[in-house]
Amino acid sequence: MAAEDLSVVRRSLVPQAHDTWESIAQAMFAQVDLESAVSQLQSWNLHVFMRPAPPAGSPRAGNPILPSDIIFLEPPLADAADTL
Amino acid sequence: MFDLVIENGLVVDGSGRPGYRADVGITRGRIEKIGRLSGQGRETLDASGKVVSPGFIDPHTHFDAQLLWDGYAKPALAHGITTIVPGNCSLSLAPLKAQHRNKLVGMFNQIEEMPLKAFAEGVEWNWIHFDEYLERIGEGLALNVAPLVGHSLLRLWVMDDAAMQRVATDEEITAMQELLRRCLQAGAVGLSTSFVDMDETLQPVPSRYADMREFDALASVLGEFARIFQIVPEFYDADVTIARVDQLAEISLKHGIATTFSPLFVNNDNVKSIERVMRRVDEQFARGARVWPQVQTRPIDISFSFAVPSLLFIRLPSWYHVMRFGSHEEILAAFKDEERRQAFVAEAAPLSGLWPQLVLRQVDSAANQTLVGKTLGEIARLRNTTPVEAMIDLSIEENLGAHFLAADMGHNDDDAVSALLNHPRVHVGASDGGAHILSFSTYGDTGYLLGHFVRETQQVGLEAAVKKITSDTASIWGIPERGQIEAGFVADITVFDPQKIGRGQEYSVADVPGDGCRYVRDAIGIEAVLVGGALTWIAGSGYTPATAGMVLPGAITG
Repeated sequence: MAAEDLSVVRRSLVPQAHDTWESIAQAMFAQVDLESAVSQLQSWNLHVFMRPAPPAGSPRAGNPILPSDIIFLEPPLADAADTL
Repeated sequence: MFDLVIENGLVVDGSGRPGYRADVGITRGRIEKIGRLSGQGRETLDASGKVVSPGFIDPHTHFDAQLLWDGYAKPALAHGITTIVPGNCSLSLAPLKAQHRNKLVGMFNQIEEMPLKAFAEGVEWNWIHFDEYLERIGEGLALNVAPLVGHSLLRLWVMDDAAMQRVATDEEITAMQELLRRCLQAGAVGLSTSFVDMDETLQPVPSRYADMREFDALASVLGEFARIFQIVPEFYDADVTIARVDQLAEISLKHGIATTFSPLFVNNDNVKSIERVMRRVDEQFARGARVWPQVQTRPIDISFSFAVPSLLFIRLPSWYHVMRFGSHEEILAAFKDEERRQAFVAEAAPLSGLWPQLVLRQVDSAANQTLVGKTLGEIARLRNTTPVEAMIDLSIEENLGAHFLAADMGHNDDDAVSALLNHPRVHVGASDGGAHILSFSTYGDTGYLLGHFVRETQQVGLEAAVKKITSDTASIWGIPERGQIEAGFVADITVFDPQKIGRGQEYSVADVPGDGCRYVRDAIGIEAVLVGGALTWIAGSGYTPATAGMVLPGAITG
């Protein structure tokens, strides 16, 4: 099987080192107003959004996104009938 | 003449082929011949009515610290385990600079629920490099150890505190590569990382600050040695797990290595999601990638007292915070303070279905002994209160020594679990042996597979089950000359009674350094365990002094 023959799964990306909700929204949803795009992203990525905030004073303060995260760029697909 | 002949057993050789009656002749630690060998052994072991199988291999454990005071990894060996893989989930005990010891102990305490006192009183920190740690545990090994290197350790070594703050520079990645190379040359079986675990401050562990450059660079070193890459994915979310499967597949294809992820749980409400994950695994295998899911056999049971933190409460911040950071006196004070108590009760309300089912499993006082074995629902009715209030009251009355059991929390649908266990891409793992010692027993998963799924429900065949925990594991993990009953192979052998084998009852035992306790199970139906041809555990007499265990795949020489 070739890579192009893989079934379609939910579209995602791996963030860059200093990515934030805003930077991903700007890069991926430039046609959508920033506030709406950020809100959408957060709602599709509760596994990151619901994470405890980094402590104040840390280099990541206010930004829960890690460079190893998976960030979804769309809502769950229709076949995602239940949760893991 | 053989050193030992195991006579008259049903040889289930690990290949998956049907079992057959034969004797097994062993000389100088290896299986020399299989056939009719009666009377040809200097020693004999009668296996009439028993199964003679390869020793079981447990690929997901955290025995890293225990091996320093217990080279048998008790009671794993008595359950038929002859090879263990420690160092999972980004955490190993080496390579480790002295200034990072407290950090590592904190992470083991938080993630694997291992007592701080056990490290304080059971560990003499006299190694730094991976080969030095292997030398330490190698002094009295009764079973084989195939150790992973923890990714978080590599980051700490190279980056110090920055390991928990940022991505690595190119120079730092190169340094991690060289460090990993040295560990693999010393005998490590592969590298582990985690995408979910939190450290003792409830912040992400160092491995989670890595970017794809770093993962790719480290995987390239694994490729030089054809060693495995283990990850802990976001197992609670199918879509993220599928994305991780895709990442692992790309790494596997690019670097020519095996990869594995653990755990993979199935419950009544996520069967379709697990099917989606497995479809993706199958697709990636069809591309030529190797992405092996690990599935545990046992249902999820969690025991706890409020004397130590329990991950059962991690989604109840007020409860978890006081358990994690409060002293004994502070926890008692919090429970006795009416205002805080009501806040605890309110926070626990969304889990109202859970609390009545919890069972009081252990108390110290005579007054409450009659309540042991009852559910909190029953106790609440007797006391005219609520289950949560009863739990708090009992904890106060027992000076936090009341132990509760949350049984069958998940992964307990036999049809769904057996479907996974029968899947050709799944191997049995995720026991967490040696960890979570105050939450549940991590021993006996193989006994549960052979007793429950093979004998009782008959949803898994005997030969298929043995293959899953022997040759499949050895093959996936690159563990040489083990996992099969075959001439020339090392004589790691487990003899068990297929009519009796089981995981045994869970109970608490006080044998952890620092006066600590842990939950264990005594094996049922295991007759004998041989490691490297040496009888190492025998039913009725227990452990022998044999220490024929080895580090696998072992150091690269020359």
